[in-house]
Amino acid sequence: QHGAMGQKPFGLHTTNLIGVPIDPRELLRPPPEIRLPPGACLSQNPLANADPSYMRSTINAVPTTSSLLNKSKISFGLVLTPHRSIKDGDEPVPVVTDTVIARCRRCRAYINPYVQFIDGGNRWKCCLCSMSNEVPQLFDWDQQRNQPADRWSRLELNHSAVDFVAPTEYMVRPPQPPVYVFLLDISHAAVSSGMVATATRTILESLDRLPNADNRTKVAIIAFDVALHFFSIPPGGTEASMLVVSDLDDVFLPKPTDLLINLSETRAGLEALLTKMGDMFQESHTVGSAMGPALQAGFKLCASVGAKIIVLSASLPTLGAGALKNREDNKVLGTAKESALLQAASSFYKLSAIDCVRDHISVDMFLFSPSYTDVATLNHLPHYTAGGTYFYPAFNATRSEDAIKFAHEFGEVLASPIGLEAVIRVRPSRGMRMSQYHGNVFTRSTDLLALPAVPVDQSYAIEVQIEENLNTPFVVFQCALLHTTCDGERRIRVITLALPTTNNISELYSSVDQIALITLLANKAVERSMSHKMEDAREALTNKLTDILGTYKNTMTSAGSGASAALSICDNMKMFPLLCLGLLKHVGLRQSAQIPPDLRAYAQALLGTLPSQLLIPYIHPTFYSLHNMPPECGTIGEGGVILPPPQPLTSERLERHGLFLIEDGQTIFLWVGREAVPQLMVDVFDLPSYDQLRGGKMTLPILDNPFSERVNAIIAKVREMRRGPYRPCLYVVKEDGEPPLRLWALSSLIQDRADQLPSYTQYLTQLKDKVNGSSYS
Amino acid sequence: MQFEEAEERDGVRLSWNVWPSSRIEATRTVVPIATLYTPLKARDDLPDILYEPVTCKMPCRAILNPFCQIDTRAKLWICPFCLQRNAFPPHYKDISSTNLPAELLPRYTTIEYTLARPAMAPPIFLFVVDTCLDEVDLKALRDALVVSLSLLPPTALVGLITFGTMTQVHELGYGECSKSYVFRGGKEYTPKQIQDMLGLSGQNRAAPRPGQPALPPTAFGAARFLLPVQQVEFQLTGILEQLQRDPWPVANDKRPLRCTGVAISVAVGLLETSFANTGARIMLFAGGPATEGPGLVVSNELKEPIRSHHDIDRDSVKHFKRASKFYESLAKRAATNGHAIDLFAGCLDQVGLLEMKTLANWTNGVIVLSDSFATSIFKQSFLRLFDKDGQGHLLMGFNATFDVQTTKELKVSGLIGHAISANKKSACVGETEIGIGQTSAWKIASLTPMTSTAVYFEVVTPAGQALPPGTRGLIQYITHFQHSSGQMRLRVTTIARNFAEAGAPTISASFDQEAAAVLMARIAVFKAEIDDSPDVLRWLDRMLIRLCQKFADYRKEDPTSFRLTDNFSIYPQFMFHLRRSQFLQVFNNSPDETAFYRHILNEEDVNNSLIMIQPTLMSYTFDTPPQPVLLDSVSIKPDVVLLLDTFFHILIFHGETVAQWRKAGYQEQEGYENFKELLETPQSDAQDLLVDRFPIPRYIVCDQGGSQARFLLSKLNPSTTHMSTSMYGSAPAGGAGQAIFTDDVSLQVFMEHLKRLAVGASTT
Ligand SMILES: [Zn+2]
Ligand SMILES: [Zn+2]
Repeated sequence: QHGAMGQKPFGLHTTNLIGVPIDPRELLRPPPEIRLPPGACLSQNPLANADPSYMRSTINAVPTTSSLLNKSKISFGLVLTPHRSIKDGDEPVPVVTDTVIARCRRCRAYINPYVQFIDGGNRWKCCLCSMSNEVPQLFDWDQQRNQPADRWSRLELNHSAVDFVAPTEYMVRPPQPPVYVFLLDISHAAVSSGMVATATRTILESLDRLPNADNRTKVAIIAFDVALHFFSIPPGGTEASMLVVSDLDDVFLPKPTDLLINLSETRAGLEALLTKMGDMFQESHTVGSAMGPALQAGFKLCASVGAKIIVLSASLPTLGAGALKNREDNKVLGTAKESALLQAASSFYKLSAIDCVRDHISVDMFLFSPSYTDVATLNHLPHYTAGGTYFYPAFNATRSEDAIKFAHEFGEVLASPIGLEAVIRVRPSRGMRMSQYHGNVFTRSTDLLALPAVPVDQSYAIEVQIEENLNTPFVVFQCALLHTTCDGERRIRVITLALPTTNNISELYSSVDQIALITLLANKAVERSMSHKMEDAREALTNKLTDILGTYKNTMTSAGSGASAALSICDNMKMFPLLCLGLLKHVGLRQSAQIPPDLRAYAQALLGTLPSQLLIPYIHPTFYSLHNMPPECGTIGEGGVILPPPQPLTSERLERHGLFLIEDGQTIFLWVGREAVPQLMVDVFDLPSYDQLRGGKMTLPILDNPFSERVNAIIAKVREMRRGPYRPCLYVVKEDGEPPLRLWALSSLIQDRADQLPSYTQYLTQLKDKVNGSSYS
Repeated sequence: MQFEEAEERDGVRLSWNVWPSSRIEATRTVVPIATLYTPLKARDDLPDILYEPVTCKMPCRAILNPFCQIDTRAKLWICPFCLQRNAFPPHYKDISSTNLPAELLPRYTTIEYTLARPAMAPPIFLFVVDTCLDEVDLKALRDALVVSLSLLPPTALVGLITFGTMTQVHELGYGECSKSYVFRGGKEYTPKQIQDMLGLSGQNRAAPRPGQPALPPTAFGAARFLLPVQQVEFQLTGILEQLQRDPWPVANDKRPLRCTGVAISVAVGLLETSFANTGARIMLFAGGPATEGPGLVVSNELKEPIRSHHDIDRDSVKHFKRASKFYESLAKRAATNGHAIDLFAGCLDQVGLLEMKTLANWTNGVIVLSDSFATSIFKQSFLRLFDKDGQGHLLMGFNATFDVQTTKELKVSGLIGHAISANKKSACVGETEIGIGQTSAWKIASLTPMTSTAVYFEVVTPAGQALPPGTRGLIQYITHFQHSSGQMRLRVTTIARNFAEAGAPTISASFDQEAAAVLMARIAVFKAEIDDSPDVLRWLDRMLIRLCQKFADYRKEDPTSFRLTDNFSIYPQFMFHLRRSQFLQVFNNSPDETAFYRHILNEEDVNNSLIMIQPTLMSYTFDTPPQPVLLDSVSIKPDVVLLLDTFFHILIFHGETVAQWRKAGYQEQEGYENFKELLETPQSDAQDLLVDRFPIPRYIVCDQGGSQARFLLSKLNPSTTHMSTSMYGSAPAGGAGQAIFTDDVSLQVFMEHLKRLAVGASTT
């Protein structure tokens, strides 16, 4: 069996899943290598092919026919995070500044490391459609030095990910400035929870972090309860005036000017206002929320420029357009009717999204309600406008953990260098088609995504169809993100991914990127749970897994269609069944009559937007044993704080005298065994004994002993090691503590049995039985 | 003169001071029995009565007065209105013929009680300020408003609403920053919506957390918007000084959007929810017409002109009816709640007073018309409103109820003045309706010491049931009002007049032609507001002819024999000038001016009203002291200076020669001191006229032949017209006077016609 170009095939290693212990470090392994035929790439640069953090495929070898793909049962899709954050140590995306942009005349692809120069280098052949194109005149010219330049050093021929500074043809209007419109709930619930004070203080402290490189950034604040409160500050003004509009039926702007204010010109007034705002509404006893009208006002305010609208709401919208009813009904939880609660209760949010996208407005939702707030419905606006939803159930700022978490995350969102007025187009090589998009985007046409703003570190999953037989040794996918940077520059970020083709199912299996695959399937499961029943989504996932396992057994193992005691899968997919089980047990999808719909909807929102790096721990939490960790753990090593080895997610690992940490990127549990020795209690909690310890949300003290320092260092590392704005809260869980908290923490241990949900071993047995009981050919 | 003495004492003038004793006879006297009463007429000599009045039993409720029969031994009094016996209250036990309480003393037919219950709230002043003004006007208005704050009683509550494209209600009680509630200009809000939108209704509030004190009332309710001057003067001054022009852009071919209607409706709504039935003034400052929302009087398209009398006459005005209806509904609500609405216009063009007039007419608000807020007419008139009495109290009363009681021979036909019916269907209510009828009580939202109400009566005694000789009829006026000091007061005036049998000469001798002219003028204007003016003029003529037929001496069909006694003699002249006046001849004025003039006429006492009907003309010349001269073109002479007072205008007119000399500057030269004096005397006399005039009249100085002189000419009797020669074929008498270009008949011609018609001679 040979690859299309006759190179060495992948070695396919088959693993039996049954009885084999899980090593969670498997999840940290890179995806299967992309082995392109020699000469496919113009460059030797290792960055010439896409880094998985920007773009990854569920399969790193593309079957030449759709029948081969169908046979394998592997879902083919791309996972895209084009506006990935650049953390310390990350390579920034290089920028092509000379505005010489070579594009294919036919398919409009951008020149990239996988094109071929022909005709003595005067023309280039498109790697997507084979079109022969002229090389642009100034392609080999250094405009800055005004001298000939080396073509081969051009960035776009050496980097998969590259930013082009766009010439004016790429603009329909001058680049939009960053505009932030804050819609701030000031009802009784919002004020009394301390949200208003925390939010305004965070905005105040973030003013210097807001993107404002060229002093064009604009800001507006609209506070709302049963009325809308606008704040007007004239340029240079030091005092704001408040304009209250109570007419919610027919929302209007109370002033033509000075409501959307230039951050630099009105800094003094804005600071004064934000300083006061926490107290300003302290006496508010108003109950009710005109969030819908506030949104309408926000749309009106920035319709001509575009904006990031950030809603901070502590109650269910009850007044005016978009008013919602409390539809939380414990009786339907866990039944077939539950998915109705995950669908929108009002068309307002989706319909508004259409206008928002047209007007380049993106909406973020920060939700704080102490009771039901209908996250499912409210998430529609962020979902279609490329925003994000952040949820702080039962927020109470007097708990410093709550205040710190929110302030941190809100601050990160404010500081993030969002892209503006963006579109994404993904072009595949001829013979393939992008068929389905998932994530917080607006699908404007079959191959064009509109994003009023591009948040940092959100990911999008795209399904790919093979429509014609592929007769090239490799194929190329190119994602182009046209956007305005928050510094006011029009740019095109181009990310090119080249993958070899194969006509060999074994090669196909051995190229599966299980991380990308579960990311795509998580997106599909969330959508299915809304459009169908929750049960259907879960079944579809298990069926997909069963199909893959069955086909693999039939085609790749000696057992063929006969019964087998083993359950086989290729080595690079051996975590995949556990990830599927993790997804089935996830709050977003789990069979349960106990999960409040808001929590469910929020979890689904995260499942649909998190990039793989955050999504994997969210499905498969990380579990560390701290009391007995190797001595170097928690100290600084070469790559920063050294983490303990992750443990398999089973309570068998919990010891009565132990201290454990379980985290999923959103929450950290510090599990304390009931027989924890006094010394451990003293070292970690500064308490004489286990009995003195209270479970719940807390901030771990930093004590003057090495163990405390190491534990704190590990927690700190867990909080900062991943991309994204999230700052998980820490819960101390006592082994014999409050049952809800214990059960919550234990639900992270997905290899265990929980209620009707099988343990991993049971799940594998079920899968094996299914595989043996059906025929896959 | 006896009429004026009675006026001094009781503030009342009557058309007839002796009354016909039967219904039939009363109708034959043509001019109805009517009174022009000034409830708050300044009286320095009234005692302080600090106890509650003694009233008759229900339903009469008449108040003990000097005309009551009392029995000091039985401690009883008999009510002259209902003839019920009433026991004196226990604390009157020491009453005797030598120890009578003030209200029983003959000299206190007018008395004022200070009631024990104080007003619910201090007086309220709510400014409603147009911001669609140019900078100069806006600044002048801001300055005037700031000054006014220092003139208000320190405890008075003030509020501010500004409007332009939108309406803003300023929450003066908010300490954190300037805060206002904004209402869309193009929308009609219901009272409930206004209440909810201002957060006055208290809904949507969470209960206070346990252990926390209940919210202070300043945190919600109208107290956020209306605060004592002494508390918010600083903040309000700051807001006024920062007040900017309406920020919305206005295209060149457009008027600014001005939502006057919404602004007033919000003001009315704000007060009615929280301060119903307590004294308040809404003061509207309008720099132009409403062009937006309910109450729109003209669109914002400049190509659409604002309506004229001709447009209204042709019934071709788009917005007039709807706007008037809108303001009427607001006026009704404000008046019902006892809130006055003042209209200050500062605009060269009209602002829609015609449509808005009921706001002031039904609440007795003031109307001041000026060309701009930067004029002294506006500034002085506005600030004069805050003049104070000897004790430092504003010269205004608030939220008054005006009750009229009559003895059984007499019934109330109605009231003409700035009031609305209080719907009191008492036994005093007559069948005939004149003005606001079907009631014997009215609400008057504000009162000044000048406010004069005309009340009309009918005699109901059937002809067959003759009254015993010497029968006396009584009228009692009871005015319950909020004094600007915060006290509630009750002014009671009781008057008595004799009845006389048919044809008794005492009746005709008791005719007060001045009062009658004013009372008839009010009826005529009231009719003119409803009917076509030609009908009203015909009615006036008919009434005059009938009066002359009844009371003149003449031989049938012999006009030369026609004679009127002194107390009737100038009545026809009043009617002549009334017919020609701006009150009934509207086409020389804008609809706004007409509304303004009529408003003032319905406010003033007999003397001021007469000046309006028949302006006074003083002539100044060398060597003779100034003297009143005929309001006639013959009074115009080259060597005189004339001083005309129409109440609305004070005009100094220089005859041709005087004008030439003045231009040549003789008054500055030595030896021409008396010329200088001739120029100055009328000026200083004019200043005297201005002293207590409200609103401040327009002051005009002009020369014979100058364009401004038309103000004088329009008022003069056209005894010499451009028609005179051709009509009578003779030159103007004595060569004096100036020909006036007019088709109006002269007084002389009018009188000739009148005589002929009165005596029954042919008029051809
Ligand atoms: Zn191409
Ligand atoms: Zn009585």
